[in-house]
Amino acid sequence: MAASVYHALFVQPWPWWLGGLSIGLLLTAMYYFLNTALSVSTGYGSILRLLLPRSRLRWLNGPNFTDRWGWRVFFLAGMVIGGYLSALLAGAAPPGLSMGRFTAAVHWPVAALGLWFFTGGLLLGLGSRISGGCTSGHSIHGLANLHPSSLLATVFYVAFGALTVHLVRALLMGGA
Amino acid sequence: MKRKLAYLGMGIVFGFTLSRVGASQYDLIYTMFTGEDLTLAWVIITAIVTGFIGLRVLAATGGRTFDGKPITISKKPLGWTNAAGGAVFGVGWGMAGACPGTVLAQLGEGKVLAVFTLLGILAGTFLYALLVERFPSLDLEQAHAAGATRSKREGA
Repeated sequence: MAASVYHALFVQPWPWWLGGLSIGLLLTAMYYFLNTALSVSTGYGSILRLLLPRSRLRWLNGPNFTDRWGWRVFFLAGMVIGGYLSALLAGAAPPGLSMGRFTAAVHWPVAALGLWFFTGGLLLGLGSRISGGCTSGHSIHGLANLHPSSLLATVFYVAFGALTVHLVRALLMGGA
Repeated sequence: MKRKLAYLGMGIVFGFTLSRVGASQYDLIYTMFTGEDLTLAWVIITAIVTGFIGLRVLAATGGRTFDGKPITISKKPLGWTNAAGGAVFGVGWGMAGACPGTVLAQLGEGKVLAVFTLLGILAGTFLYALLVERFPSLDLEQAHAAGATRSKREGA
């Protein structure tokens, strides 16, 4: 019994409902224990603040980043550790360049792949900040609170995400 | 310090969950957008519903933290930037097959290309800091600084 529970939670992939339940309870627990909204993308500002302590840019000296080792740095670091533990316990593949269907279909040199993912990341970072959040802060935290700004942002995330994937499929993957 | 460790622990749970449901897999984001496999959409919807109920329970039981402080719900201002930034974000989401949260789980799992996505996000965030320096109206949170205290009160 105990062994099978361990297996289901720490070795096997989770069903969608368990993942959703875990994230929804995490959102609640973060308010109950830490009085903090679930939020990831602003944490990249905290990392910039940490890396560029002397920057005079107004935004990096704003109210979110008064503490040099802000809580967001710890939260983001925890997420990397969580991904590591998950892969370790599941006995997943060693580090590699694979990125699912993309690298299976698009045979580019590593530098071109790196530039592609860097550009995607750049748009994620810029878009998060302009829209005021990301999938966590807007689509999960904001929608759980029925905030109109989060609904507007999420509609655009999904619409342009779908559009982009359809273009990638048609133009880079040969419609596969 | 105890508080910081609590954030670290919450982050571990979040990263572990994202990895376990496959949110950190390029393919699940790709197939959500092509409509082939909606697993990830169901994860997000279940998270929203669970969070909605959880916050209702907290509000119904007095809206206080475990140590009795009033809970402040953070609210983001509404404006054209939600749509414009959302479009930019969507293109990045589709290109990288990751969002700012799942890329961290990808990194922990040992996906080497996630390093580039992560560097891109840092560069994009820095670019925003530069843009806001010139165009302060981009930062709705600061532009609405006066309104922020009001929405805070509503949230409590």
